Amino acid sequence: MTIREIIQSTIVIAIITFIAAFALSHINDLTRPSIQEQEKEKQENALSVVFPGYRIQDKKSVSLDGEDFVYWTAKKKESGTTRNAFAFITSQPGYSGDIRVMVGVNVKDEILGLSILSQTETPGLGARCTEIASTETFFGYLFGNLFAGKEVETEKEPSRPWFQKQFTGLSADQQIEIVKKGDWQPSMREQLRKKNAITAITGATITTKTVRDAITKGIEKLHRARQKPADGRTGV
Amino acid sequence: MSYLNDFMKGLWEKNPILVLGIGLCPTLAVTTSVSNALWMGLATSFVLVSSNILVSIIRQGVPPHIRIPIFITIIASFVIIVELTLKAFQPDVYKALGIFIPLIVVNCMILGRAEEFASKNTLGRSILDGLGMGVGFGLTLFVLAFFRETLGANKLFGLTLIPGIKPATMMILPPGAFVTLGLMLWAMNAIKSRRN
Repeated sequence: MTIREIIQSTIVIAIITFIAAFALSHINDLTRPSIQEQEKEKQENALSVVFPGYRIQDKKSVSLDGEDFVYWTAKKKESGTTRNAFAFITSQPGYSGDIRVMVGVNVKDEILGLSILSQTETPGLGARCTEIASTETFFGYLFGNLFAGKEVETEKEPSRPWFQKQFTGLSADQQIEIVKKGDWQPSMREQLRKKNAITAITGATITTKTVRDAITKGIEKLHRARQKPADGRTGV
Repeated sequence: MSYLNDFMKGLWEKNPILVLGIGLCPTLAVTTSVSNALWMGLATSFVLVSSNILVSIIRQGVPPHIRIPIFITIIASFVIIVELTLKAFQPDVYKALGIFIPLIVVNCMILGRAEEFASKNTLGRSILDGLGMGVGFGLTLFVLAFFRETLGANKLFGLTLIPGIKPATMMILPPGAFVTLGLMLWAMNAIKSRRN
């Protein structure tokens, strides 16, 4: 290769990468506001899911095992008494990358709500932990309910992923059992709650276990964090 | 005729998945639902056509020995455009496809078309080639996902097909993908050999 060729190649590749970087920085500028908006909305939605009916009081940060552990406190007035609740973000490596979960618990460590903030599990398998089950049937959607057969059991709750919904009401400080009964149905609720159990995502037992383990890890950290004074008040 | 052929060959004669056997990783992974398959087909087609256009335009100015890094830079840029756009405006799709959007960069179908076709042919023909290959890829994903979603989840577009029937979960799992793809290959070869 001659010097001339080397210089020529360098110039060509420099121009192309420069154009690419220039174009991408503009695309980034264009999309950033809506991406940030969604992140913010996601956290607010998550907080409203894990604190159903509660008023958020404070966000505290405590250093545990050399890491910052952030948790929120919330209150609700119910029949004359004030109920306290706590929420925390916990993460655990899943089948492919960390799964970040926000969990809300009351003082008795019962789960008030759970929301998966981010995950990179396999689409169609583990990623179904964020899937919202549709109660509508395909033919019902196309032709109205004429050919749809009998009405599928509908719920009056806002639509949330079934996998995350089933954690509500379980005790976080006890071992949460995993059973394999297929997709969660509202009719399974009583039976599962009695056993402190959840039903696994078909084909994604690792994802299911990861979320369970993340809760166990998080609740233990929350207990320790509540004993310690907060390092800094960061506000809500 | 030749222009039509540039487009049509991607659908059947040189179908990227069924004949060339490239791009199999996303094929097996995202075909668990029809909507995932369609979005994946759309995203890949966009990257394929855009990179074919650019590669064809600059084909005379690129020194041959550095063409691969240049093609990859172009492809990666378009993939990031797709990724950011989906993340900003179709967050649910972005969430569902997850890692397979950034992985379009290493889909050998796109580099393969840039190397084999766009770097040697005119702009018009390269666009047609990209479109044909993209549609062929998308259609194959659609057919594969159609069988997997209906049989494996008793659903279509995320909506239940027949209430009360237990689906054959195996079809949604990786083995179902392999079996369905194998049957599609068999069907394709059977039709081809009958024609000859």
